[in-house]
Amino acid sequence: MPRYRFAVDIQFKDNVRDPRGETIERVLREEKRLPIHNLRLGKSIHLEVEASNVEKAFHIVRRACEDLLVNPIVEEYEVRKL
Amino acid sequence: MKACVIVYPGSNCDRDTYHALEYVGMKVDYVGLNDELEPYDLIVLPGGFSYGDYLRPGAVAAREKIAGEILKAVEKGKLILGICNGFQILIEMNLLPGALLQNSSGRFVCKWVHLSVSDAVTPFTMHYTRDEVIRLPVAHGFGRYVKVGDKVRVVFKYLEDVNGSDERIAGIASENGRILGMMPHPERACESILGGTDGLRLFQSIVEFLRRESH
Repeated sequence: MPRYRFAVDIQFKDNVRDPRGETIERVLREEKRLPIHNLRLGKSIHLEVEASNVEKAFHIVRRACEDLLVNPIVEEYEVRKL
Repeated sequence: MKACVIVYPGSNCDRDTYHALEYVGMKVDYVGLNDELEPYDLIVLPGGFSYGDYLRPGAVAAREKIAGEILKAVEKGKLILGICNGFQILIEMNLLPGALLQNSSGRFVCKWVHLSVSDAVTPFTMHYTRDEVIRLPVAHGFGRYVKVGDKVRVVFKYLEDVNGSDERIAGIASENGRILGMMPHPERACESILGGTDGLRLFQSIVEFLRRESH
C-alpha cells in the first residue's frame, strides 16, 4: 500500500481571539519595528497516510481532522499534499 | 452512594477531589482508563493536564476508551462533574456546549476569585442560593469560555473578568443539570485551613441529591 504525505494547517476562525498571536505581533511591531499586522498563530501537522490511492488518503486525513485534530467550533483547516 | 475520580495521565487534582468526596461521606474509588463506571452514582473528571494538554486541553483524554464509559453513564442519567481540565474534557467530548481557549491575557491565572451562583437548582448547587456570591480558587491557562448558541445553562459566573470568558462564564451544566463543568476548584475550598469553605456545599449538594433520589 502506498503512503502519502500531507500537511494539515489549522487556524483559529477570524472572530476568535488569539492571545499568543497578538503577543508575537506586538513584539515584532513594537520591539523589532516591523510593519506586521493580523498575525495569527496556528498549527501545522505533518503526517503520512497508507491508502490505495490519493483520494482515499485525502479522505482519511479529513476524518482525522474531524475526529481529533481540529475543533470545528473555533478552528478551520486546510489539507495540503506534500 | 459511590463516587469515582478518573485518573488520567497528567491529572493532578485527583487526590484533592478524592479527599473532598470522602470528607462529605461518599465512598470513593480512583478509576483508570480501562475501568468500568457502572458501579458509580457520581463520576468526577479532576483537574490537571491530561496528556500534557497536547493538541488542545482535554482533546486526547476525550477520545480515550473511558470516554465510551462516560457516555454510557450519561445515558443512564448519572451525575458527571468536570473540574478545570475535567471541564475541558467534557467540552471536548461535546457533552457540554462551547469551547475553552487560552486566557485572553495569555497568562496562567492562579488566584482566589469571586463567583455568583446563577443556577441553584442543579444537583450540584442546591445548597447554594441563586445569585449568592462565593469564593473559590482558579488555576488555569485555558479557561476562556466561548459560548456557542443561546441554549447554555450557566451555573457560575465570575464577578470580575478572570480570563476573557464570554459573559464571564465560569461553569455550565447540561440541559438536564446532571453534567456540570466548571473552571474553579471547589475541592480546594472545603476546609477553612485551606483558605475557604465555599466549595464544600457543592459536594454536600451532590450527597443530598443522591440521597433523595435513592428514596
